Amino acid sequence: MPTSRRPTDALGAEILRHALRVAAEEASIVVVRSAHSTMIVEGADACAALLDATGRLVALSAATNLMHASSLRSSLPALIEDHPIDTMRPGDVFIMNDPFRGGIHANDLLVMRPIFAGGAVQWFSGTLIHVVDLGGVSAGGLAATATDVYAEGLQLPPVRLYDGGEPVQDMRRLLALNSRLPDRVMGDIEALVAGVNVLDARMTDLVERYGLDALREGIDAYIESTEKRMRDELARLPAGTYRGEYVIDNDGIDLDRALTVRVTVTIGDGQLADGTISLDFTGTDEQVLGAVNAGFSQALTGVHYAVRCFVDPTIPMNEGCFTPVHVHLPYGSLLNPRPPAACGGRVVSVCAAVEAILSALADAVPERAVAASSVIHPYTISGRGEDGTPFVLLSYEFGGVGGRYGLDGPDATGAYFLGGRNTVPQVEAVEASLPVIVERQGYAVDSGGPGRWRGGAGVETRIRMLGDGEIAVRSERVRFGPRGRRGGQDGLAGSQWIERAGTVVPVPARSVRVPVRAGEVFVLRTSGGGGLGDPFERDPEAVAADVAAQKVSREAAAEHYGVVLTASGEVDHDATAALRGAR
Amino acid sequence: MSERTASLAVDIGGTFTDIVIARPDGAIGVRKVLTDREQPDRAVIAGVREILEQEGVAPSEVARVVHGTTLATNTVLERTGPPIAFVVTEGFGDLLHIGREARVEDDRYDLFFTAAEPPLPRSAVFELPERIGPRGDVVRPFDQDAAAALVQRVVASKPAAVAVCLLHSYANPAHERRIAALLEAALPAEVPVVCSCDVLPEMREYERASTTLVSSYVAPVMAGYLARLRRGLLDLGIDAPLHIMESSGGVMTAEVAARRAVATIESGGAAGVVAAAAIARRDGLERVLSFDMGGTTAKAGVVHNGVPRLTRDLHVGGKGSYGGRRAGTGMPVRIPVIDLAEVGVGGGSIAWLGPDGVLRVGPRSAGSEPGPACYGRGGTEPTVTDANLVLGYLDPDHFAGGAFGLDAEAAHRALHDHVAAPLGVDLAEAAWAVHDLVNANMASAIHVVTVQRGLDPRDHVPVAFGGAGPMHVIGVAERFGVGLVLAPDGGGVTSAMGMLDTDLTIEHSTTFVASLADLSVDELEAKHEALVASALELLGFPQAPPELVVERYADVRYRGQSHSLTVAAPPGDVNAVHDAFRRLFVQEFGVDRDAPTEISAVRVRLRLPVPRSDAVAITTPVASEPDAVVHSRLAHFGPASNGQFIETAVHRRDQLVPGAVLDGPAIVEGVVDTVVIPPRWRAVVDERRGLRIERT
Repeated sequence: MPTSRRPTDALGAEILRHALRVAAEEASIVVVRSAHSTMIVEGADACAALLDATGRLVALSAATNLMHASSLRSSLPALIEDHPIDTMRPGDVFIMNDPFRGGIHANDLLVMRPIFAGGAVQWFSGTLIHVVDLGGVSAGGLAATATDVYAEGLQLPPVRLYDGGEPVQDMRRLLALNSRLPDRVMGDIEALVAGVNVLDARMTDLVERYGLDALREGIDAYIESTEKRMRDELARLPAGTYRGEYVIDNDGIDLDRALTVRVTVTIGDGQLADGTISLDFTGTDEQVLGAVNAGFSQALTGVHYAVRCFVDPTIPMNEGCFTPVHVHLPYGSLLNPRPPAACGGRVVSVCAAVEAILSALADAVPERAVAASSVIHPYTISGRGEDGTPFVLLSYEFGGVGGRYGLDGPDATGAYFLGGRNTVPQVEAVEASLPVIVERQGYAVDSGGPGRWRGGAGVETRIRMLGDGEIAVRSERVRFGPRGRRGGQDGLAGSQWIERAGTVVPVPARSVRVPVRAGEVFVLRTSGGGGLGDPFERDPEAVAADVAAQKVSREAAAEHYGVVLTASGEVDHDATAALRGAR
Repeated sequence: MSERTASLAVDIGGTFTDIVIARPDGAIGVRKVLTDREQPDRAVIAGVREILEQEGVAPSEVARVVHGTTLATNTVLERTGPPIAFVVTEGFGDLLHIGREARVEDDRYDLFFTAAEPPLPRSAVFELPERIGPRGDVVRPFDQDAAAALVQRVVASKPAAVAVCLLHSYANPAHERRIAALLEAALPAEVPVVCSCDVLPEMREYERASTTLVSSYVAPVMAGYLARLRRGLLDLGIDAPLHIMESSGGVMTAEVAARRAVATIESGGAAGVVAAAAIARRDGLERVLSFDMGGTTAKAGVVHNGVPRLTRDLHVGGKGSYGGRRAGTGMPVRIPVIDLAEVGVGGGSIAWLGPDGVLRVGPRSAGSEPGPACYGRGGTEPTVTDANLVLGYLDPDHFAGGAFGLDAEAAHRALHDHVAAPLGVDLAEAAWAVHDLVNANMASAIHVVTVQRGLDPRDHVPVAFGGAGPMHVIGVAERFGVGLVLAPDGGGVTSAMGMLDTDLTIEHSTTFVASLADLSVDELEAKHEALVASALELLGFPQAPPELVVERYADVRYRGQSHSLTVAAPPGDVNAVHDAFRRLFVQEFGVDRDAPTEISAVRVRLRLPVPRSDAVAITTPVASEPDAVVHSRLAHFGPASNGQFIETAVHRRDQLVPGAVLDGPAIVEGVVDTVVIPPRWRAVVDERRGLRIERT
């Protein structure tokens, strides 16, 4: 229905923005509800994005995984490079995953569809999820010990999945043959296609409502106003040059060699805040053999995420957020590797980049200081059931977030851009499909780094095997616990082990195919967040509450916080004052 | 003693408490009173007393009182429930506190984000050594001594209610039953012990525990409230049965509602869709959209073939768009609820300019205190109602049945100061922008329940009600290209009227995983029969009453999927279940797959019809001029009136005769609502003074 109001003025703009967000949201819902992937069956969201023909991000689904969003945005140039826009036809759908051209790793599949209006490609709809399996050395994509991209699964340059609306059967057969679970992976791919198709239909509706020119103008105005908000916010940060770094445990291959991500953050031109920010990662270690390298789109996720934490969180996520942010990722480094680097464990380097930026900006804005957080601990358990059918569980657990200025770090939540714990498979569902008993899942006592504001607690999961199987893990911040800040102590480093016949057998942090037999217990303990500020300055009542909640032991209360509790758990003020005074 | 044939319905909203009476003579009386936020039953009792006087009905004539309330939801949202205890399998004491919170939207970039805590401290969680396996086998036996010690500690904590959730109790409830029996024996009689195997015998411990916890948390609050309400009604001389709306559109007796309090969690929102369903059945409309816009929120729901669509994916206090239904935020409550999309816009929503200078409306609302600026109760910020007043849709001297006058000057001032002046536009343009933006917000809600479910909104007839619904419905309809809408009489109290059209309803379900290809008819039948028996037991029936209606359902999915769809599973044909699922899957996702399917749960819904009065028409007079065309006034319809105020006829709803045709622009003032008919739309009056409005 045509309307006389043009969407560019202040009165009508919100209506258009609404429609764009709803369109992306709908696409993501369609993907989630029809997908098969184990990664999203427990409630994770799919990423759906609308980009314009010049590659600008226009709109995102509301709960989009930012790593995925960044990948869609970064991959579009590769698609256009291989398939010039004038060669595209209505009904074409492309698929890709190349980490050196904007992708993430083999299992994260991107699907894109050009959206036509007025006889030309105006926009692209993109969807992305972690599909169930696409080959590589480890089922489900957890190739923790891969040393090149070939071991991580089938690589896909931008290729057609639908050609003018017709499925490309050769491509489908190729994809199916390269998956351990062909039916399910094809189900996932169809879900991605359903998502891009919905977004295409919604944009067609909007063209009808507004007219193409008015719609394009409205989108331009949306991006411009976002950019203005972003610049206004950046201009409020104190100009200057700030440095930060963060140390990675190792690459899982060369176990003794720690790796460092370094960043120089310049707000404004260093002297005057002008609404821009530059992040230069010169000095970051070179790419490594192990799979902790991050494709550039993933590094950008961390950068933009960290910057956004220092501006108004309600600024919409579109191209306007990116324009005032200048990023340099040295080619050949951990954050922008050359082929054929293994990239599956990129979260490690991306999170280190986030910490380095947060550390630098904490110097600029002390009241937004945050100590370091844990990184996602993924693992798989695989084997064969009693009837011989194979099973694979890809799961993960989160640890604590770092203490924050004025607030404790959240316990057991997904750190940063990784979202929340809602996607961790539940115990009953796991036990119903795998021969295991989960004996415990609870806070790891004393794991949160002591501080005036305590780091969040990690989680301990104990899984008893009822049959033989093997496990794979990919843990980080288990050699060096998440770092404390300003007198706060480090979070307790995570760990993983197997309890075998009364002995504890440590499991290397990045390992695959570790045999674990019936009756043995696999234990995964995630790291606690770092503490912020001197723990002796922590409110003694908060320490007593932590002890009551079983997050902190009485012993640690005395040792780390200088707080003495009575037999009934109340603060013994005299003893506390004496203990704290004696330091 | 007079014959008991009158029915009362009471709907508490964020701004108004609506009361409707179906009189013995078939007439319907209506009354609106301002909601009492402190103690809602006070406004209810006052309103009931007033309506009985107004309609000349004796308390003893009242045969039934039906009530919908947001008390349960608000208790969870505001954490105002009593201290409770939670008993869980050893090793999982942190289950609820660790939680499964997602971070969505703004939360993702908020370094200082902190998820809401569950409504009990960790010290109120008690771990029981025991273990049941996924197939119901006992992995670790119940420890009698440990249980006895646990009971002592629970009793010492003096809880007002206890929730029990042990792992895999859906497969074997024996351990839950044993510990519950020990707890009940040791606790005072008024302390309910709520078992997860009764509330939600389905796999996935977090949702089951959360649903059970919410049930125990709201139970004492609901029981206390219902007892107070009952006393208040008795004091008025009303001793009729008290029925409470439950979330899936039926009612429960107050006694069952107190025990199964979680089922009332969406009690407040369900009635409107039920009312739309009744209208759909009466008028023979196959596909209807209920469009309910009150003071603080607007809700949309879908009715097909006279039956509201249900969902089982509610998150109380959830973040994200459309009424907190985003998985992973808030507390999941897995009970059947009417599928509603909700947006935080209503008549009281405040219009404001964002940091980018762009106009926004809501989600903040002026509520009943201070209310919109035009209420003259101290509000200074412009609301949607203020904008509608400026546009000429509302009569300052006739609002909410003449409950109070409106201060037009205050509305003008608020809108001028906060929107028009900063943007440099005139008042009318600002007011229209607010009105139009609300229509767009509302369109999003309709989008969620239609397009996102694979339905085409153009196949549906919107039924508009709520205080603000009939003023906005046509603007919303135009956004979808819908050319026909209904505005029933009494739109301001339609939800309450819907409550008069409800049956006693209960749903029971359990996890049951089986390949559809291998499942026998007898096996499925046995599962359903067991559920019927347990539901009847809860309702207090030793055997099925003859008028009982039983509906059987199954949750079905493609093997390897996690999300299931609920389809009807009538006895005797397993293949039909597979076919029904495949059809529904195509409808929902547009993908037709010929792949193996499996059942993941079975359900039954029991419905016991309640005799109801055959109410005809609203007789409460409209408090304005007595002529059919009262007068005319200037009103503004945006582009449809070329951005000008134009002369618009104003009609009184109670003076309209069936068959009358009203050409837009026109305004119809009813006792509790106002219908706006823009230019190029035409309304025809039906026998019940409902308006059937079509684009010309």
